[in-house]
Amino acid sequence: MHRRDFVKSALAGWMYLNVPPVFAGRSASAMKTLPNTDKKLIWVLLRGAMDSLHALPPLFDKNLDRHRGALSLALRDTGLPLDRGFALHPALKHAHTLYQQGQFLPVVAVASGYRQRSHFDGQDQMECGFNQTEHENGWLARAVASIGQEGLAVAQTVPLALRGEGKTHNWYPSQFKPADDDLLQRLTRLYGEDAPMHAWLNEAISSRDRLSMQDKSSPQVKFPYLAERCGQMLQQNPAISAAMLEMGGWDTHNNQANRLTRQFSQLDAGLAALQHSLGEAWQHSIVIVTTEFGRTVKVNGTSGTDHGTASALFLSGGAIKGKQVLGDWPGLAQEQLYEQRDLKPTSDVRSWIAAVLQQHWRLTSTQLKHVFPDVQPVSMSLIT
Amino acid sequence: MADLACYIAANRFGYGANPNILQAIGNQPLAWLTAQLAPERVTTALHVVKGHWTSDLALQHLVKYAQKKRDMRDDSSLDNSAGQGQETNNELMTGKKQLAKQVMDLTELTIQQGIESDSPFFWHLVDFFSNHFSVSANNIEMRALAPTLELEAIAPKVTGHFSSLLQAVVAHPAMLLYLNNEKSVGPNTRFAQKRKDKGLNENLGREILELHTLGVGSQYKQEDVTELAKALTGWSIGRGTRQEATGFLFRDGVHEPGVRVVLGKRYRQQGMAQGQAILADLANHPDTARHVSRKLVQHFIADQGNENIVNTMVDTWLSHQGNLAKVLMSMLSHPESWQSQAQKLKTPRELLISSCRVCSIPLGQADLIRHLSNLGQRPFNAGSPAGYKDNHLAWSGPHAMMSRIEWASHVSRFVRVDPISLAQQSLGPLLSKLTIQQMQQAESKEQAVALFLLSPEFQRR
Repeated sequence: MHRRDFVKSALAGWMYLNVPPVFAGRSASAMKTLPNTDKKLIWVLLRGAMDSLHALPPLFDKNLDRHRGALSLALRDTGLPLDRGFALHPALKHAHTLYQQGQFLPVVAVASGYRQRSHFDGQDQMECGFNQTEHENGWLARAVASIGQEGLAVAQTVPLALRGEGKTHNWYPSQFKPADDDLLQRLTRLYGEDAPMHAWLNEAISSRDRLSMQDKSSPQVKFPYLAERCGQMLQQNPAISAAMLEMGGWDTHNNQANRLTRQFSQLDAGLAALQHSLGEAWQHSIVIVTTEFGRTVKVNGTSGTDHGTASALFLSGGAIKGKQVLGDWPGLAQEQLYEQRDLKPTSDVRSWIAAVLQQHWRLTSTQLKHVFPDVQPVSMSLIT
Repeated sequence: MADLACYIAANRFGYGANPNILQAIGNQPLAWLTAQLAPERVTTALHVVKGHWTSDLALQHLVKYAQKKRDMRDDSSLDNSAGQGQETNNELMTGKKQLAKQVMDLTELTIQQGIESDSPFFWHLVDFFSNHFSVSANNIEMRALAPTLELEAIAPKVTGHFSSLLQAVVAHPAMLLYLNNEKSVGPNTRFAQKRKDKGLNENLGREILELHTLGVGSQYKQEDVTELAKALTGWSIGRGTRQEATGFLFRDGVHEPGVRVVLGKRYRQQGMAQGQAILADLANHPDTARHVSRKLVQHFIADQGNENIVNTMVDTWLSHQGNLAKVLMSMLSHPESWQSQAQKLKTPRELLISSCRVCSIPLGQADLIRHLSNLGQRPFNAGSPAGYKDNHLAWSGPHAMMSRIEWASHVSRFVRVDPISLAQQSLGPLLSKLTIQQMQQAESKEQAVALFLLSPEFQRR
């Protein structure tokens, strides 16, 4: 036996004897010694502005039904109970189970620095993370580069959040046969005089091998499937610590009750799929779910809601100190609303993400300033 | 051999060159392009639309579909004989299949025109404005209606004044339904006083200002959005019941009464004229001229367009009341349009269409749509009223590269003609020595075709 192998197996034995397997992921001392390679971070961006009053109805707020009518009344009996008198939409069933297990933590009344109501600008700003959007400089790219790790986008092209610093892969299911190696070789020569195409090709060839991009099945490309594959790729690639998933369909200007029931069940199934595919790694993982802004407090004329301001943030994963609802509640009385119409933000969504980065990946204050220069991390403890 | 400008006209502004196109261009590339903007050419080009699925048919179908669905619910609640329920269910399924077929025919029509028509620049413009006024097929109603917008409201207007294009789009059932205006109700109407659950929906008003006209950087405020939304209350859809016809319908009873103020200007008109007056002013606003001109340059010439050519187009826009044919001619007359350096990586749609046009790849309609989805631009599926982004960042990168490679190797199997002469015909002086050399060394004809389709000079235009 080589000496190095001996050391490895001796170490493994020592770990096994000293840390009861059940607590291996949960114990604070184990988390501190765990390298960042094992601490995954998954960001889910809900594109289209998710209505937090529908996801997390504040059933204790006496003004809720006055604004919402049938939309909130329907949730009075079916909402799944949370702390502080909030409830979770019944379609978020798995999230509620996680909540009870201490692995799901909603934060209410959060917003980014953006105060207009354009989806696209709002999303760009959330992906960039600066008060002034830079289109080639994403927050997740800065964050994962600061720990020397790589990012993964489950998308056909790399979204803003993962553009800029460091190394990013992207993956999306394909329906055509994988290209043969001979053609790839010839293309490398053909692109000799075209720098960008040459770079894309080289990168595609190397990540094809690493991410097992070849996917012979042709599945329905739905969020839970993408989440499942995302978890697998994270779990198989020690160099990749952060991933971004996107889910559209949240712009519910009409028929909100039915549409959001479908949306929440997809999101819920996606969370379950992540947990399943991450396996053991789930214990050291954090999922952050955010949206670009919220929706109007009052229901509109077509049983939906229009573009608003504050929404909610969900934190989940084995590493999260869940079973609590955080964030100050601004109230729903007319004078408590932002511009007389929207839920008023009481904290910046980036200050929570910054706290996660600080506590999960141990980012220093200099590194945090680099990722989110416009906010301070919240000082609460969010991680087990 | 035709000169460089002919190949630029065909590749940058059309959908690629084949012998027919080069013959049509002759040695007059600019004239070939501008001729496609002439009203009689547009009328001829649009003959192909006749006999296809329309928004009227779509609305009638949807009314029937909803009725059948109600029948089915009633049947099951009465616990009727299972046979009858099954019958309605079958009808419903057949209806769904017919709808899917009709919609696919229509969706494929514009792609097919891009591939075959002798007015490729015109169809390229239709595609541009279809994406500018993007609608997504995100539910059964929008699936039935989405592809009718570009053929009914956009294609006939892309060479006219922008204000009539804008009015046609905003009054089209697909747009009214997509941005939820059809049920938007003025808060001070008698109707709203009676029906407390009905009210204003500002979605269409906001997207008109932000996306269709002024652009997001312009100086409009939340009040302008609300005011425009109020002016547009009543712009709705008739569902072909006994009381009303099918199609656009102005419902006076839900139109918000009173004067509207948009961008500081007061609009005293009554009824539908109020919205029309505001849209006409928005169409001729300098910010709109700049926003749309910049997008045109970004689409046809370069991601980061030269502001100089944009300025020329804005001047033309403002002195010709948004006459799009004139604006386009001022773009085409500018030297920027003819620079030999190709700056624009083809979009997935352009790649698919130009490949089929140049190589005569016989793809079936289901294939066209499936391939487009796989390359990242499924028709009517941008998922946002902003449409697909018109910057290579949205469709380039390692993964997109690999998708293109896989796709090119797949379709190269269908090409029958000699790859080298195909490449020479299509790119002329734009074809590089390196590409010819690599194609000559290819291990098979298929591989040579794939290399041609993937060559930098075919991927860019």
